[in-house]
Amino acid sequence: MPEIILEAFNLDYSYPDGTKALRTINLKIEKGEKLTILGSNGAGKSTLFMQFNGLYRPNSGSIKYQGQAISYKNKPLIELRKKVGIVFQDPDSQLFSSSVYQDISFGPLNLGLSDQEVEARVDQALIDTETTDLEYKPTHLLSYGQKKRVSIAGVLAMEPEVIIFDEPTAGLDPRHAREFMQLLKNLSDEGKTIIISTHDVDLAYSWSDRLVIMSSGEIIAQGEPGELFLQPELIEQADLALPWLLEIYCGLVEKGWFPTSTPLPKTREELLLILPLASMNISPIPKDSK
Amino acid sequence: MINIDSYAYSNHLKKIHPGEKSLFAMITLAVCLTSPTVITPLIVLALMAGLIIFKAGIPGRVFLKLLLVPFSFLVLSVLTIAFSISTDPSGFWIAETINGLTIGIRYPDLNTAAQLFLRSLGAVSCLYFLALTTPMTEIITVLHKLRVPVIITELMLLIYRFIFVFMETAITIKRAQSSRLGYVSLKISYRSLSRLFSALLGKVFVKSQELYNAMAARCYTGEIKVLTKKYPVNLRNYLLIIGLELPLILINLLGRR
Ligand SMILES: Nc1ncnc2c1ncn2[C@@H]1O[C@H](COP(=O)(O)OP(=O)(O)OP(=O)(O)O)[C@@H](O)[C@H]1O
Ligand SMILES: [Mg+2]
Repeated sequence: MPEIILEAFNLDYSYPDGTKALRTINLKIEKGEKLTILGSNGAGKSTLFMQFNGLYRPNSGSIKYQGQAISYKNKPLIELRKKVGIVFQDPDSQLFSSSVYQDISFGPLNLGLSDQEVEARVDQALIDTETTDLEYKPTHLLSYGQKKRVSIAGVLAMEPEVIIFDEPTAGLDPRHAREFMQLLKNLSDEGKTIIISTHDVDLAYSWSDRLVIMSSGEIIAQGEPGELFLQPELIEQADLALPWLLEIYCGLVEKGWFPTSTPLPKTREELLLILPLASMNISPIPKDSK
Repeated sequence: MINIDSYAYSNHLKKIHPGEKSLFAMITLAVCLTSPTVITPLIVLALMAGLIIFKAGIPGRVFLKLLLVPFSFLVLSVLTIAFSISTDPSGFWIAETINGLTIGIRYPDLNTAAQLFLRSLGAVSCLYFLALTTPMTEIITVLHKLRVPVIITELMLLIYRFIFVFMETAITIKRAQSSRLGYVSLKISYRSLSRLFSALLGKVFVKSQELYNAMAARCYTGEIKVLTKKYPVNLRNYLLIIGLELPLILINLLGRR
């Protein structure tokens, strides 16, 4: 039985203006897993994330960390936030200092570490997010993607157990998005639990162990990426699209290039591997023989 | 103001310890303001101009433009000191008498005016030196080290950051409005501008809430603790400061008759 590190139990949340943002959310997150939350704009992803480290308090239901319902008193909340870090969707609301270095050092200093340890962590975070050359630039002169990377560094430097990224690759160029995914892989290999929200179905499909699909404040499905993406009604209902890998795969199966029993390719390389070579001179399997 | 700020991050003196730059600017400022003659302010002005243009690599044009900002204000106040009106025509250096009223300049007044003018300009150049070569965040750190109350330094840190966030928001809204013809006539302009302000006010409120949340998420406990990149302390710079300030102080002392 894998250990459940975070759990939302019958969670309900409305904003003060009456918007019902979350309705009876039940979600278990396993230690060390790579979880992606998908859902259209306004589905409630960011709101759910704010529940996970106690920034918002549910109207009913609870959040459990390692099986314990979290307390909303000052001290335990801080303990929780040392374990569960969030990188916010909008970097402008996360960066409070004009100095990149100062901003990144804020979190680790709050953990009560020594200055030396903090310096080492800030330097490492700068390297990991490739922001070392931005160190002397003020945050207001950075581009959106650069700010995003600095805000990611600010949370990485705290080295939390669970790291939540709200749309981390939005605004990043392809190279930095790819490198960021590599960084996520490394973090995952270190045993960190990682939760991201995204609108990038390709990324969600290739990267995650498990998918959660939200729509108007509810979880409408959760499970293996391959399983969920092959349900057209679900994709439609959640305003999603098919990842290109699956689209090609389905097309090739349809045209008979390989049998339906072929396992779903998770990456581009896997797809290329199962594609038969043209030189093997096999013609498509006739449709009626399938 | 944005310009000054960008230079602070990109000038050739940015890697020098902010404490050394602040010390230099402040001592020179004090020496300049306490000078009894016009010689010290002139030297200070030349010194700062040289440092800003040649050492920090800031275009002379920019520095001149910045000096012109207080210039008109200074000229006005200096003129009111230099000129006097009197019924007694004696003691004037240059004067014109009309209907028994004498308008003109008395020599001591001219002296005071010139001194005031140069002293102010010299002092302003000291402040420009600091502002053009040292990022605000570093100045705040120096203030913090000087035991300025935390509430003030923290507020400065946040205000400084948010000036830019809101300016950017305001510029974006203004652009969005103009591209949809929000400023074609005076009446429409007033309406657009009032909408801009109310939108900005709403943003301020939401942003401050979000900022608090984001800081709380990083274990904020009521005190903003940050580390600043360490700058090497350079003994040569201290010697240089002493070497420059001592002669200036000496000139001041000699000028005090
Ligand atoms: N501060 C707020 N006050 C009132 N309603 C809010 C507030 N923030 C969000 N909402 C509403 O709550 C719902 C969920 O918003 P949320 O930000 O969680 O969506 P999301 O899934 O993160 O969307 P996106 O993909 O656009 O980031 C939306 O209907 C939104 O309008
Ligand atoms: Mg969101």
